[in-house]
Amino acid sequence: MRPYKVLWFIACVMACLAALCVVLPGRVAWGNEELRWPTLAEVFETQESGLKSPETFVSLDTIAPVDTVDIQDTVATKFPKPVIPKLTVDSTTDSRAYLSAFYASLAESGSRVVRVLHYGDSQIEEDRMTMEIREQLQRRYGGKGVGLMPLAQTIRALTVDQELRMNGRHVSPQQGPRRYLVYGLKGVQRADGLYGAMGQMAVMNDSLVRGSEDITAICTPKDGRPRYTKWKVFADTSVHYTFAGDTVHLTGRGNVYGLSQQSETGVIVDNIPMRGCLGLVFTKMNEAQLRRFYSEQNVKLIIMQFGGNAIPSNENPGTIVGIVKGLREQVQFIKRCAPEASILFVGPSDMMRQTEGEWETYPLVPYMDKLLRKMAIEEEIAYFSLFRWMGGVGSMKHWQEIGLAGADGVHFYRGGARKAGNAVAEWILEGVE
Amino acid sequence: MSFWEHILAFNEDSPLLFTQFYFWAFFALVYALFALIMSARPLGAGRQKLHMRNVYLLFVSWFFYYKTSGLFLLILAFVTLSDWLIAGRIKSQIIHHKPQIAKVLLALSVTIDLGLLAYFKYAYFFTNMINDLFGTGFRVFDIFAYVGNGFAQAGRFSVDTIILPVGISFYIFQVISYTADVFRGRIQPVKNILDFGFYVSFFPQLVAGPIVRAEEFIPQLYKPFRLSRRLFGIAVFWIINGLAKKIIMSDYLAVNLIDRVFDNPLLFSGFENLFALFAYSLQVYADFSGYTDIAIGVAMLMGFYLPMNFNSPYKSQSPQEFWRRWHMSLGRWLKTYLYIPLGGNRKIGFGTYFWWTLIAIVSAALTGWWWILIPFAVFIGIVAIVNSAPFRERLGVGRLKLLYSNLNSFITQVLGGLWHGASWNFIIWGGINGIGMIVEKIWREMNWHVRFASITLLTGGLWATDYFWHLPVWRLFAVWASVIWIGAFIRYVYWLCTHNKAITNHQLQITNGLAKAWAILQTFTFITFTRLFFRSSSNLDPATANKVAWETAKNMVNQIGGAWSNAIIPDFLWEYRWVVAMFITGMVVHWVPTNWKRRYRLAFSAMPLWLMVLTVCVAIIVIYQFVTADMQPFIYFQF
Repeated sequence: MRPYKVLWFIACVMACLAALCVVLPGRVAWGNEELRWPTLAEVFETQESGLKSPETFVSLDTIAPVDTVDIQDTVATKFPKPVIPKLTVDSTTDSRAYLSAFYASLAESGSRVVRVLHYGDSQIEEDRMTMEIREQLQRRYGGKGVGLMPLAQTIRALTVDQELRMNGRHVSPQQGPRRYLVYGLKGVQRADGLYGAMGQMAVMNDSLVRGSEDITAICTPKDGRPRYTKWKVFADTSVHYTFAGDTVHLTGRGNVYGLSQQSETGVIVDNIPMRGCLGLVFTKMNEAQLRRFYSEQNVKLIIMQFGGNAIPSNENPGTIVGIVKGLREQVQFIKRCAPEASILFVGPSDMMRQTEGEWETYPLVPYMDKLLRKMAIEEEIAYFSLFRWMGGVGSMKHWQEIGLAGADGVHFYRGGARKAGNAVAEWILEGVE
Repeated sequence: MSFWEHILAFNEDSPLLFTQFYFWAFFALVYALFALIMSARPLGAGRQKLHMRNVYLLFVSWFFYYKTSGLFLLILAFVTLSDWLIAGRIKSQIIHHKPQIAKVLLALSVTIDLGLLAYFKYAYFFTNMINDLFGTGFRVFDIFAYVGNGFAQAGRFSVDTIILPVGISFYIFQVISYTADVFRGRIQPVKNILDFGFYVSFFPQLVAGPIVRAEEFIPQLYKPFRLSRRLFGIAVFWIINGLAKKIIMSDYLAVNLIDRVFDNPLLFSGFENLFALFAYSLQVYADFSGYTDIAIGVAMLMGFYLPMNFNSPYKSQSPQEFWRRWHMSLGRWLKTYLYIPLGGNRKIGFGTYFWWTLIAIVSAALTGWWWILIPFAVFIGIVAIVNSAPFRERLGVGRLKLLYSNLNSFITQVLGGLWHGASWNFIIWGGINGIGMIVEKIWREMNWHVRFASITLLTGGLWATDYFWHLPVWRLFAVWASVIWIGAFIRYVYWLCTHNKAITNHQLQITNGLAKAWAILQTFTFITFTRLFFRSSSNLDPATANKVAWETAKNMVNQIGGAWSNAIIPDFLWEYRWVVAMFITGMVVHWVPTNWKRRYRLAFSAMPLWLMVLTVCVAIIVIYQFVTADMQPFIYFQF
C-alpha cells in the first residue's frame, strides 16, 4: 500500500471524527447513559480543565482567616447537579470564642492533665493530623506521650508501633482479643453501649474458645520520637496490668477500653479515628460512662471531624440536611457528657470525583460546609472549615498535583494531613492570644 | 502560553503522548510530508529518497523528543555522535588487525554510555548508599544544570536535583548494542551519522521501547518502503488495540481502584488489597504492551518493523517462560549483552564472581546485616570449589549447566531490576524474580517424591512459623504454600496412580490441560506478588522511593495477611462491579488462544477500507468514553 493511500486513510478517519465534533453537542443521550464526544473547541483548547489555576489557591504556608476568606463555593459543573437551596451563613463571627473554656483550662496544665480528644473519620487515621495538634500543644503547654490507643491497634499509627502477644505468642491485632466497635460493619456492636471514650473496646477472656489470655502490648515510638514510659490502662477493675518501658502487660478477665501513654501533667491529645463513620454514633455510647471518663480525665476540648463520609454517596441536599441535624444531636449529646469541655467541629475537606472523565468537587461539599458552620454557630461550638482553608472548590485537585492528597480525590497523603493538622493547631493557638 | 508556543515549545506538563489528540495530529502532519517524500518523483527511487526519508524522520524524532524531554535532546545527540564516532574507529582498528585497541574503544564507548546513564539515573542511589555506609552528608549536584546556567540566565536550571531524561535507559541500551555489534562484526558501521541518528531516535520507540538492536533495525534504513495491504490493516489494528489496552484497561483500573489502594492500603481490607495487586499486574501489562502495540503500528505505517515485545506473558507456565514473553526486547538485550558474556550456561568466570560479590555487599548494605557477608562468602567459596576441575567431572555436564545458568541468570535478573530504577525495591524485585526462576528450575529437576516432601515440609514450616510468630507475612506465605501444596498433592497422587501405567491420549490431554492451567495460575500469582516491589517511581530520591515502596508493600502484606475481612467482599464486588468486570474481561481476552487472536487480527486487516475507517471511528468513540480526567503517563516512561 502506497504512503499516499495510508495518508488518505488517516485523513478520512480524522475527518469523520472531526465531523462528529461538529455534529454532536458534546454529549448525546444513549439510553440511560450519555455518549461523550468533545467539541472542536475542546479538542483545541490548551487548558486541561476548567479548574482554577494553582496560584489562585490560598497559600498553604499561611493560615487563611477561615471564617472570612473569600472563596468560590459553588461548583461550576457542566454535569447535572442537584438543586441546592440558598443558605446564608454568618461569616463574621470568630467561632474560636467558643473555645474559651479550653483556653482557660490550659493555665492548669502545669499541675494536672488537660485532655483533648480528637474524634474523626479516616482522614485522621494513623494519627496523621492529630500528631501535629499534639506536638504543638505539648510544645507550648507541656505534656508527654501519644495518649490513648486501643489494646489491639488494627490501624497502625505513625507515632507508635504496637506489637501484641497473647500467652507469649505474637499475634496480629485481628487475632488479638475480641473487639467491639460503636462504628463499622454490623456484628461488632454491643447493646449496652459500654465502649469507653474511644468508641471501641476489647474483652479479655470473653469466651470459652479463646481460653486464658495473658496479653502484652509492646508500643514503641516511631521515627525517632522520644520514648515515654508512663502508662494508664482504662479497663474493668478485674483486669490487672503492669508496665515497664514500652511494654504493658495485662492479665485477668474483663473489658479494656484503651491504653494511654501519658504524663501526669500537661496536654494529652488522643487520636480516635472511626473509619467510614458519619459521626452519628456518639448517642449509641453509654452516657454515664462517657461523662465519668470526660470528667475524671479532665477532658477540656473535644474535636469532632466528620461529614466527609456523607458526601460521596449522597446527591440529595435534603439528606445532607438530615445528616447535619443528626450531627447536631451528637454535639448536644457530647455537650451533655462533657459540660465543661469546649467543642471544635472540623468540617470535611474539599472532595472531588471524576465524572465522565473530568474532576469536579462533589456539588454538596460547599453546602455541607455551610450547614455545619451554621449548626456550629447555633450550638455555640467552634468550627474550622477544612474546605475553605484548602481554598474551596477544586482545591483538592491542586493538593493532588503538589503531592498532598491521594488519587481518590478524598484523602490526604501524610504530608497533606500534617499540613492540615498543623493548620488546625495554629488556628486553635492563635485564639489563645 | 500562546497557541504556537503550546504546539512547538517543550512543556513538561504536556509531553507528546500516544493517548492524546496532539500526538495524532502531529503524526498526521508528519505522515503527510512523509508520503510526499516517498511519492516525489524528482527524488527517484533509490538511496537518495531513502536518505531523505531517514533525515526527515530523524528531525521529526528529535522534535518529538524535544517536546517530551526539552533540552535533554542534547544528551541524545551526544550519545549518537559519540557512539557513531567510536564504532567507526572500532571497525577501522579491526580492519587493521588491532583488536586490543578496538576492545579499548569498545570499553570507552560503554563507559561513556553507562556513565551517562549512571549519572542521570543512579546519582541519588550511589550518593544515598555512600551516605548510609560512611555517615557522610553528600548531596547530588547537577553539573549539566550548572553549565547550562552559565549559558542561560543564572538560576534557570536547578542544580540541586538531577532529572531523569525520558527514555534514556532505552536509547542508551540501543547505542550500546550498536557499538557491541560492530565490534563483534555482526553489522557494518553506519556511514552517515544522520542515518545512525535516525536509528537511535526513531520516535515511535524512542521513549519506552521496544529496545531495537542495531542488527535488526539498521538494515531497514536502506530498504525501500514496503507495506502490504494486509500489513497496513495489522498496523491499524495494533494502534487501536494499544489505545484500548492503555485507556480502557490500564487507566480505568488505575484511576478507579489501583491508585486508591496503593495510595493508602490501610484504608482497604485484605481482599481489596489482593484484588488491587492482581489488577495492578494487569494494568502494568496493558499499559506497557499498549504503548508497544501503538509504537509497532505507527512504525509499521512508515514501513519499519519493530520487534515483538510481549507475547501474552500471563500465559507463562513458569517464571523463566514469563521472562521470555515479557518485555522481550529487554530480555533479549540482557541475554545477548550480559548473560552470554557472563558465560550463560557454559561457564562462570570473573564476571560471575564479581557480580555475586557485589550483590553480597549491596545486600549487606541494604539490610545493615553485615553478617550476611559470611554465608555469601561461604556460598561463593563452595561455587568456586565445585567449579574446580576435579569436582566439575563428578558433577556432570547437566548439573554444571544448571549451576552456571542459575548463577548467571540471577545476576541478569538483579541487574535487570536495577535497570528499571535506582532503588532497592527494584533490586529486590529483580532478586525475587531470579530466585523464582531458580526455584522453579530446581523444582522441575526433582522427582515427585522429593517435590512432595519439600512442599509439605515448607508448608508445615510456614504454618508453624505463623503459629509461633504470627505476622501477616507468614500467614500470607503459609496460605500460598498451602495452595501450592494442594496442587502438588493432587498431582502427586495422580502420578502415583498412573506412572508405569498406560493412559489414553484423551486422559493425557485433560491432565496436561489442567496442569498447564494450574502452572499458569501459579506463575501469574508469583509475578503478581513480585509487583509489590515494582510500583515506585524510579525518578525519586531513592530514600523516598524506598520508603514509599517498602511502606506500601508492608502495609499491603499486613492487610492481605492480617485484615482479610470476608464480610466486606460482597460489598466490594458490588460497589466495584465495573472494575471487577474490566479485570475479568482483561484476563479472559489475555488468555484467548493465540490462534484466535491471529484470526481476528487478520479478519480486521482484510476489511474493505471504508469499513475499516468506520470501525476505527467507532473504536475511538468507545475508547474516548473511558478517557480519564488526568493525563495518565505510560508507566515505562519513568524507566
